[in-house]
Amino acid sequence: MNTEISFCALHDVQRTKRLSLSSLLEMGFTDSQARHICDSVFEIKKESSVKRVLSTLTVLFVLGLNPTSVQKMLDICPDLYIVKETLLQQRIDHLRKLGLVEGSLQRMVVHYPKILTVPVKSVKNVVQFLREKCLFTTQQVTDILRDTPAVVLEDLLQLEYKFQYVYFRMGVKQAEMVKFRLFRFTLDDVRCRHTFLERRGLYQTPDKKGQTTIINPKLGDILNVDQDTFVSSVARASAEEYDIFQKLLARECKEEELLQGRVEAYSDEDDDGDDEEEEEEEAKGRSGYEKRRKKK
Amino acid sequence: MALLLNRFPVFFRKVCELIRLTPRRNRVKEKWAATQPKHPPTRLALQHFDSSYGAQLGPLWPSVRVALLSERKYGALLNSFSHDLVLEDLQVQGCRDFISHQDRLVFGAEEGSCEVSMTSLEFLSQQQYPPQLSPHLKCFVFPRGDVTRFKPARPDRYGLLGYYLMDAASILPCLALDVQKGHTVLDLCAAPGGKTLALLQTQLIRYLCINDSSMSRTSRLRKVLHSYVPKQFLTDENLRITSFDGTMWGEMERETFDRVLVDVPCTTDRHSLTEDDNNIFSKSRTGERRRLPQLQLELLLAGIAAARPGGEIVYSTCTLSQNQNLSVVEQAVHFAQEKHGIQLQVVSLKPLVQKFRNTFHFAPELHLGEMVIPHLAANFGPIYLCKLKRLP
Repeated sequence: MNTEISFCALHDVQRTKRLSLSSLLEMGFTDSQARHICDSVFEIKKESSVKRVLSTLTVLFVLGLNPTSVQKMLDICPDLYIVKETLLQQRIDHLRKLGLVEGSLQRMVVHYPKILTVPVKSVKNVVQFLREKCLFTTQQVTDILRDTPAVVLEDLLQLEYKFQYVYFRMGVKQAEMVKFRLFRFTLDDVRCRHTFLERRGLYQTPDKKGQTTIINPKLGDILNVDQDTFVSSVARASAEEYDIFQKLLARECKEEELLQGRVEAYSDEDDDGDDEEEEEEEAKGRSGYEKRRKKK
Repeated sequence: MALLLNRFPVFFRKVCELIRLTPRRNRVKEKWAATQPKHPPTRLALQHFDSSYGAQLGPLWPSVRVALLSERKYGALLNSFSHDLVLEDLQVQGCRDFISHQDRLVFGAEEGSCEVSMTSLEFLSQQQYPPQLSPHLKCFVFPRGDVTRFKPARPDRYGLLGYYLMDAASILPCLALDVQKGHTVLDLCAAPGGKTLALLQTQLIRYLCINDSSMSRTSRLRKVLHSYVPKQFLTDENLRITSFDGTMWGEMERETFDRVLVDVPCTTDRHSLTEDDNNIFSKSRTGERRRLPQLQLELLLAGIAAARPGGEIVYSTCTLSQNQNLSVVEQAVHFAQEKHGIQLQVVSLKPLVQKFRNTFHFAPELHLGEMVIPHLAANFGPIYLCKLKRLP
């Protein structure tokens, strides 16, 4: 009902402000909250988007969020104001379909509102990637999305590299990655801590039977502790050493990348049209080969 | 036969394939696995070190290990023959000369406290210090924890390079040698030439004898010397470069030299962990590696024999291994006494350690000689050094 009223009256900006203010109040916002939202809406200055605000808010309320958390979300991610109502609803439905149950869905959305600005297609891509390239189970993918929704915006190639680093170099299986929330940490962080332990002789890559000659620390012990605890109790080193090691490793990695060429350079081939390109290459190769033969 | 071959080529090829020269009992069925397990020498070295140094160094080993596997630090040995203003340039970059640094401070405190409680013998050895270090010998390093690298040295207008980049701890054996004006010095295993160059920088040596058993290495050494030292210092009157077998030196030139530097070949720990080619831990060089302690002992004995009575010998390696360090020295002292009747005294290097303990990490509690152990903040070494004095 409220939305209807405001839609009718949107032609005049002054009236809009007043009307939407009152409608916001009716929706349950406090006075100051409503004012705050109005101010941020008028900062956007796009006529069409202003129209959408109330319907967007309605969708969020239908999701079961209270005014305070809605306002918090909008503060964190002002882009939400300009998302179409239908799209928003689609995205929420899609997240439900991925197995996020009521409660955890709301918590995730409030914690990371940006996920509602991501198109369904790219979320689908990430989910497909996690299942097919990294062999996570459906349940594990749901857990990943719930604990670390930010993966949907990460570069897939970087994500794959991180996964493979942890899987092959550290010998950690998918279940543990999910349990200890691997995707919350950057690749540099993971690599630095792991390499430090490895060079100190406290971590070994398991062989193909999963055996090591020493007992490796758990992934959780490596990642889910702050730096001081990690350095002193897991790596048993001094802060000075780790400090210098970070500098050295950063330089090593940079030089390695320069040597091998950027990893991203391959990204185009990997994503799509794999086969076509290969065929093209083959054809090129063949034509080159034929040219040479003719010359002979 | 040729005719036959021509006539029935296919038949003969088959026969040749069938008859293998190895007898049946020695034939090995080849593995079909696509990937044979590979053991690169660097990994073998690491395993070897893990087992031996883990026990030897105890809780220190992890921090030494991470330092060995990370990028090393260099020192820039300043070329005093160069005409460029390299010194100021290096100082602007933020590094300092660790040899002259905080010289007075430590020694002022030392002399006062030491003279009180000391046996006469210790006092004798102590008295040689503070060593009269040549003012020409300067080695620049970046301060502790700084990981900046040196730029490659540039030639001045005479074609001499401004500085030589080397492990700063390699200077220590040269400093321990304590060369005085007019000395004759023998460098028994000189290549690649860092220590030799440091000795020449002192400008105190009357006659320097440089030897390395390998021809290619001496030629490389010669190149290094020519790009750092002007020609007038490289004449036959003050320099001799040879490539003899160092172990025979005792028979060639007995009791000749005032100072002998015996920097023996060893399992160069850092190199073995980082480079796969020319690695002493590769399978094909196992025998050579096993013979190392024996070779080291022979070289040290030759060096001892070449020193004149009253002369001093410095033994140095770049490994942490006890078998190649302490044991070799112990045996050499024993053998020299038993077989050659040469009395040796071990000279304490404590003053040197005192002086440079802010630059290097020294291994604690070594009953013979001193050892620089790598540490991430001061990633120099490993260098072991021990000084012997031939009693008259």
